[in-house]
Amino acid sequence: MSENIKSSGAANTPGGFAGDPAAALAVSGSGGCCGNPPAAVTLPDPAGTAASPCCGTTADAQAAGSCCGTTAKAEAVASGAGCCG
Amino acid sequence: MTTTTAPATPPSRVDALDGLLDMVSGDRMAGTVARLAGEDFTGRRVGSAGGAAARAWLARRLADLGAAVTTEPFPVPSVPEVYAQPTVRWYDGTTTTEPVFGQQLSVHLASADVPLVRRGGLAVAGTGDPGGRWLIVPAGMSLSDAYGHAEGALGLLVVANVDGEGWQYTMLAGPNRGPLPVLTVDPATHTALHTASTTDGAWLAANAPVRRVDVTAANLHGRWPTAGTDEAVEVLLTAHFDGVGDHPGLRQPGAADNGSGVAVVLEAARVLASAPPTRVALAVAFLDGEETGALGSAQHARRLAEAGQRPVVINVDGAGHLHEAAAVEAGGPAHGLLAVLDQAARHTGLPLAAGPVASDNRRYAAAGLPALGIGAGMAGYHSPADTPERVQTATMTALARLGVATVWFATASGATLSSLIGD
Repeated sequence: MSENIKSSGAANTPGGFAGDPAAALAVSGSGGCCGNPPAAVTLPDPAGTAASPCCGTTADAQAAGSCCGTTAKAEAVASGAGCCG
Repeated sequence: MTTTTAPATPPSRVDALDGLLDMVSGDRMAGTVARLAGEDFTGRRVGSAGGAAARAWLARRLADLGAAVTTEPFPVPSVPEVYAQPTVRWYDGTTTTEPVFGQQLSVHLASADVPLVRRGGLAVAGTGDPGGRWLIVPAGMSLSDAYGHAEGALGLLVVANVDGEGWQYTMLAGPNRGPLPVLTVDPATHTALHTASTTDGAWLAANAPVRRVDVTAANLHGRWPTAGTDEAVEVLLTAHFDGVGDHPGLRQPGAADNGSGVAVVLEAARVLASAPPTRVALAVAFLDGEETGALGSAQHARRLAEAGQRPVVINVDGAGHLHEAAAVEAGGPAHGLLAVLDQAARHTGLPLAAGPVASDNRRYAAAGLPALGIGAGMAGYHSPADTPERVQTATMTALARLGVATVWFATASGATLSSLIGD
C-alpha cells in the first residue's frame, strides 16, 4: 500500500496528477478491449512507454471477432501482448 | 489550449468536507466485498442466479440509504458457460498426465460444445496430417489460420497466459464460437505437448463442455433527492457488479473486479447521502454485463441520451491494490470534471496518473457525456485468485474519499463541469 494515502481528514502529502490532468483525455489504448487490466498503473515512465490495456494471447488478438478496438488490436498483435483471450 | 482550474473553496466548507471524509469506513467496504465475493453470489456472472441475488442485495443496500431504486433489464445473447470441468488426459510416450483445470488447462471462448471425450494423436498445426489428431497451435498463429490447417482434426490446443499464481484468466467477451473444440493450456503444458507430438504413441483425450446461453441482465439504479433547487449538477457514480462467474468446482469470487469498485461507490453514496451537498443530484448505477462487453453501460448511456439527461459520470473499476497511483481515463467533455477530480485528489492525498481504464466509462464517454474511469489495480483478475483477502481496505478507502471529495468540490464548479466546448 502506498504511504501517500492518508486515512482521515485532509492529506498532508501531495496527491492529484503529477502533470496536466488533461493527459487522461488522451490515454493510449482507449480504443481497446473490454475488461480492465489486472495490474495497477505506475507513475509515468520517463521513456514514455504506455502499458497495454489488453490481456490474453496474441492468437486471440489476431482472431476475427476479437473484442479489441482496431487500434488496440493492431498494437496488441504487434507487441505480442494479446487481447481479450 | 486552456488549463482548467477548479475554484477555491472557503475554509469552513473544507472543514465540513473533512468531516465527511472521516465518515468513510474501510471496514464497511471490506464487508461489502466479502459479501459480494461470497458463495451465495457464485461469481456474479451476467444472467446467473448469483448475479441476480447480488443485485437484489445491492438494491436493499441502496434503499437503506434512502435512494429511490429501479432496475433496467436488457438481453445479453450467447454468454459462454463452462458447464462441467473438462475431462482431459494426455500421454507423452512415458507418462499419463491429467492437467489441472483452471491452471494447466481451460476451455477457450471460441470452443465448440463437445461433451464427449475425443481421443487421438498429437500434431502441430501447419505441419503433417491433422486428421484424427489434436492440433497444437504454435504461439503466434491465429485461430483463423489454425482452422485452415485443421481439416479432420479433433480439436485445437492454444497457449494461454497465466497469472502469478498460475491461474488462467476467464474471459466472457471475445471471439465467437468456432467449429472445433478449443482448449487453452499454460505455456509449460504447451511446450510439453509440442515435445510429445514428436513421440510415437503420444495421445490426448479431451472434451470441451461449454455452451452459449441467452440471458436477461439488469442494471440497478439509485437516485437521491436533490439538495437545493437551483442548477443542480447531476453526478452519476457507477461500478459494474457482474463478474466472470464460478466454473464448476472452481470459485472465481470477483472481489477486486469489481466487488471493490461497488463497495467504493456504495460507501461514497452512503457518506454523501448522510449530508448531501447542495446543488448536487446524486445517482448511482450498478451495472450488469460489463464482462460481456460493457453492455449494461451501453444500455444506460443510450437511455440517458434518449432522455436528454447529461450527468457527469465517475466509474470505478478495480479498487483492490494500489501501486503508485490510481489510473484515470477521461472521455467526453471532461476537462472541468478532471480539474475537480485533481482538486479532490490533492485534498485527500491520492496520487493520480493518466492510464487506461477499459470499462463502462468508455460507453458514457462515447455517448458524449463527461466520463471518468478510475482504477486502482487488482491483485487477482478473472481467476480464483481474486479473493477478498487480496483487496486492500486502504485502497478502497482512498478511492471512496476521492469520490466524496470530488462530488463535494463539484458543487463549487456547478454547471461548468460539462460545458458544451468541454473546458
